[in-house]
Amino acid sequence: MNLVIVGLNHCSAPVAVRERVAFPRAQIGEATCELLGAAPVAEVAILSTCNRVEIYALAADASQAALALRRYLHTYHKLTEPIDAHLYERHNQDCIAHLLNVVCGLDSMVLGETEILGQVKDAYAAAQTAGATGAALNRLFQKAFAAAKHIRSTTAITRGSTSVANVAVELAEKIFRDLTQSTVMVIGTGAMSEATAKALRSRGAGTILVCGRDRERSGALANQLGGRAIHYDDWPVEFPKVDIVISATASPHPIVTREKLVPLMKARHNRPLFLIDIGVPRDIEVACDELENVYVYNMDDLQQIAKENLAAREREINICRELIAERVARLAEWLEERYK
Amino acid sequence: MTDRYFLWMAFVFYVGASALTLWRLRSERSQSSLHHINVILIVVGFLMQLVGLILRGQNLHRCPLTNPFEVTVFIVWALVLFYLVIGPSYRVSFLGAFTAPVVTFILLTGLLTATDTPHTPALKHSPWIEFHAGIGILACGALALAFVVAAMDFVQDRQLKSHHPGPTFRLLPAVEQLDVIGVRLLMLGFILLTAGMIGGAISDKIVGPWPLPKVIWAWMTWLVYAALLAARTKGNWHGRRAAMATMAAFVFLLTTYWGMSWLAR
Repeated sequence: MNLVIVGLNHCSAPVAVRERVAFPRAQIGEATCELLGAAPVAEVAILSTCNRVEIYALAADASQAALALRRYLHTYHKLTEPIDAHLYERHNQDCIAHLLNVVCGLDSMVLGETEILGQVKDAYAAAQTAGATGAALNRLFQKAFAAAKHIRSTTAITRGSTSVANVAVELAEKIFRDLTQSTVMVIGTGAMSEATAKALRSRGAGTILVCGRDRERSGALANQLGGRAIHYDDWPVEFPKVDIVISATASPHPIVTREKLVPLMKARHNRPLFLIDIGVPRDIEVACDELENVYVYNMDDLQQIAKENLAAREREINICRELIAERVARLAEWLEERYK
Repeated sequence: MTDRYFLWMAFVFYVGASALTLWRLRSERSQSSLHHINVILIVVGFLMQLVGLILRGQNLHRCPLTNPFEVTVFIVWALVLFYLVIGPSYRVSFLGAFTAPVVTFILLTGLLTATDTPHTPALKHSPWIEFHAGIGILACGALALAFVVAAMDFVQDRQLKSHHPGPTFRLLPAVEQLDVIGVRLLMLGFILLTAGMIGGAISDKIVGPWPLPKVIWAWMTWLVYAALLAARTKGNWHGRRAAMATMAAFVFLLTTYWGMSWLAR
């Protein structure tokens, strides 16, 4: 018996192809059952995320099974044009290595991302529920989850955020002891400030105030974030209550200056203040950072940290691959022993 | 085996915990298994120290607080005690890692300096003296832990201000959390210090006056901490300035204590 994968991912196929072959979550169980009958496979599991669609199978004849899986993808999704050029195939040891790389986030678009582990767990659970897994896939997936856990805790592959918005959240979590008690003020509405505010909200940020000259836009963003819109001229009034400021205006001059900040810091009893300056030209005067308990980060700072975090993750790749190689060898040996 | 043997053994375990800290900082490792090893090393050191203090107490037939060496060892012991009690309740990551080097340094200073002088004749027995000494040592333990927390606060503030957070950044808690814990420890330490001073004043009336340098030192320490606590609770002192002042206050407490003891000799 042989292990086989047929699939595509963000490297092998553009989004236009990926979206055509993605399996809706609710239909994965049904498709798995169907596959058991349609292809010469003994065990099967379907993994479908926004960046990859992969079918894992155990079959007596790997080539025949791979061919049937390819055909199934075309038939199931009623594809008019062939997508074979975008599909890859892995057998036995390569198949094991591939899954371990996937669950550890080494094959992800954002290196080391952790969401994929949950998605693979869901795929495995769906296959189990459909009664499509047996000794081989059960062992393969369970060992892959254990490997991911081990690699996450012993290497720095998942450490540090790699997006500007998440870097800002990570910094906020090292300034404030409880983000749910924090008030965030967004000055100026733009894609980056929206993403940062959303990231803060997703980590539980308490109150969100959106302040802009365009009442309609700030109202819409406030609604989206579950916050409150305030008029641009009112921001100094609300400022003493605010813990985190995301500023992204088109103002040609700094809107927050050291001179303005000193009395405001007194009014807020010198509690820590996190100023995120996404505006170009900058909205927050550089001298504000000299004030005690005021932490000013601009776009360059955040991008630099994200870049350093990514570089740090990349430095861990070889360690991860070594750890994976040991496990792949053991699993391949087990598979060979069991099905020789 | 003498009491000093156990105190040196305790020192070895604290050195182990400190070495682990340095390694964790270099390698940015934050696994719970390493945290547990750190705690185990500190707990074993704490127990060794306890055995050492019990043996010394048995030899002296009294609580071993008769010279600066014993007081230093007791302060270290109280610091570790507070860490073991307070650390888990606040779930402060890396507190043990910062506590270990401080404990190692203070204990080594006690072990290597010539402060283990022959014992002074026992004072007239009074429960107030026991109360004064015991509570005073506990106060020093709480204030020592406030020093450790302030050091963490200072380091984290520097990391954030640098705009390029280094390896310790992810391992340390939020500056606001450290600030809150620091103030609570200062309050606890100050209450215990005040209670110890009251015990000392009562024993002064019952069994005779304390040496003047000791009284002056006690009052100076109390005033420094009263001012610090007022600044941190009423004067809106947070962050770097508050952390530096808290560290300076504890250095003042230790150095003036050692200085006062040297003068008294």
